[in-house]
Amino acid sequence: MNFRNILQEIEKTDPDIYDRLSGRRHILKSFGSKVALAALPIALGSLFKKAYGQTSTAGIVYSLNFALELEYLEYNFYYQGNNTGGLIPAADLPGFQTIASQELEHINFLTSVITTLGGVPYTPSNYNPASNNPAYIPTGTYDFTAGSIFPTFSNYSTFLVLAQTFEDTGVRAYKGQTPVFFGSATLLQQVLELSCVEGRHAAHVRLVRRMTGAAAPDYPAPWITNNIPPIVALQANYLGEDNVTQQGVVITSLKDITGTIPEASATAAFDEPLLQSTVTSLIAPFFLT
Amino acid sequence: MKMLNKPAYNKVEETGKAYDVSRRRFFQLAGGVAGAGILLSACHKRSGPTDVYIGSGDIALLNYLYILEQVEAAFYTQAVTTNYYGITKSELELLTDVRDQEIAHREFLRTLLGANAIPAINTAFKGVTFAERTSFLTNATQLEDLVISGINGAAPLFSDTDYVVSLGKMVTVEARHSAYFRDLNSYNSFADSTIIGSTGLDQNNTPSSVLGIAESNYIVTRFDASKLPN
Repeated sequence: MNFRNILQEIEKTDPDIYDRLSGRRHILKSFGSKVALAALPIALGSLFKKAYGQTSTAGIVYSLNFALELEYLEYNFYYQGNNTGGLIPAADLPGFQTIASQELEHINFLTSVITTLGGVPYTPSNYNPASNNPAYIPTGTYDFTAGSIFPTFSNYSTFLVLAQTFEDTGVRAYKGQTPVFFGSATLLQQVLELSCVEGRHAAHVRLVRRMTGAAAPDYPAPWITNNIPPIVALQANYLGEDNVTQQGVVITSLKDITGTIPEASATAAFDEPLLQSTVTSLIAPFFLT
Repeated sequence: MKMLNKPAYNKVEETGKAYDVSRRRFFQLAGGVAGAGILLSACHKRSGPTDVYIGSGDIALLNYLYILEQVEAAFYTQAVTTNYYGITKSELELLTDVRDQEIAHREFLRTLLGANAIPAINTAFKGVTFAERTSFLTNATQLEDLVISGINGAAPLFSDTDYVVSLGKMVTVEARHSAYFRDLNSYNSFADSTIIGSTGLDQNNTPSSVLGIAESNYIVTRFDASKLPN
């Protein structure tokens, strides 16, 4: 095993390897002579965990700004829906007002954290907010009909379908960002807490849909079963939700009360992550270009 | 009594299964003693010889979460068996779903722990009237919110971040459960101000606090959690 060659190989794909290991270069140099060969894998493992386990502040800000982009999208969706007369039944309106106010709280929270970290908080493209509400952008940024595909603000069922999809996708997007915060205990916890609130929203919207009976009797559940989307056109937002293997454990092979855990339970019990690039392409149709 | 050799004992210590050994030794000592009841009652204090040692580090954290998932699975197993008066077909279907998802969480954690898993715990849900809708829903909500705060509080304490990825996948499902039971109890209360503060964040709490609440409200088994990260 040639340790220097390993580092050189890493350097080809990660030119910043020595910066990531900054302050540890002298340790690296000492490896060849002082560390027993048998101990090298262990020493290397902990070294690289330190190097890659901690995301730079710039990386953290980038991730938080991605979350902020999603929160702006959601808030503007609900703000417009809540203020469209005749769209949301009176009995359901308080729930959507709760959701909208919490999306706004998320915008404020993320903006504050990013600022504290010395970053520049995201603002939507063509940012031209309402004079009385800096988070609401009435025109120029969003198209929640996705080019007249969805009658979003004239048909309650469609509004609910998109609300469910935005919330489920939000949960999955936060999950995809979790590894960025492994080196930052407080932020990791806060990102998990944000994702839990999105999970609560998702469950509520799904229950509202179930109660309207618009899709099918007793459907959907408040959780994601297999990779079933609300409508076929939104299948891409649910790809990967049918995963049944967690950390190498095949959940459907484990015992439950009467046999083995069925696929429906195995998939519903875990919300699956989405990559940022995937989420960005999923939400792209809802932005004006 | 034959002494355990040292390597075997160390192995037991590391794997969190000191319980088996210490309990067997305890009953050997107590066997045939007329006052066994007195001895047993004396063992309810913390870190007594019958306490189940949950291990240290990540093992302790996983066993702690395994305890919470065992509580949830037992709670909903009881709830399905003696379901509340007036339950609808739709509600029974979703209640069964929740039970099965908690069983999936429990079995997943047990499998991850392997030989380090503590034995099945004994639960007792004092003060819960499962046959009464409001009692069940109120208690289900409290339990879900406790577990959410417990997972969020434990996540940053893990050394191996692979576990954190899995916990993240589970905690939002617990949030879905809580929201559902809240809505069923009082429509539109899925994320109201009784649980979500003005920053729009969900709850977190330390493992020792959450375990303490769970022990006093739901669990008969007593644990030695002296090495549980906090």
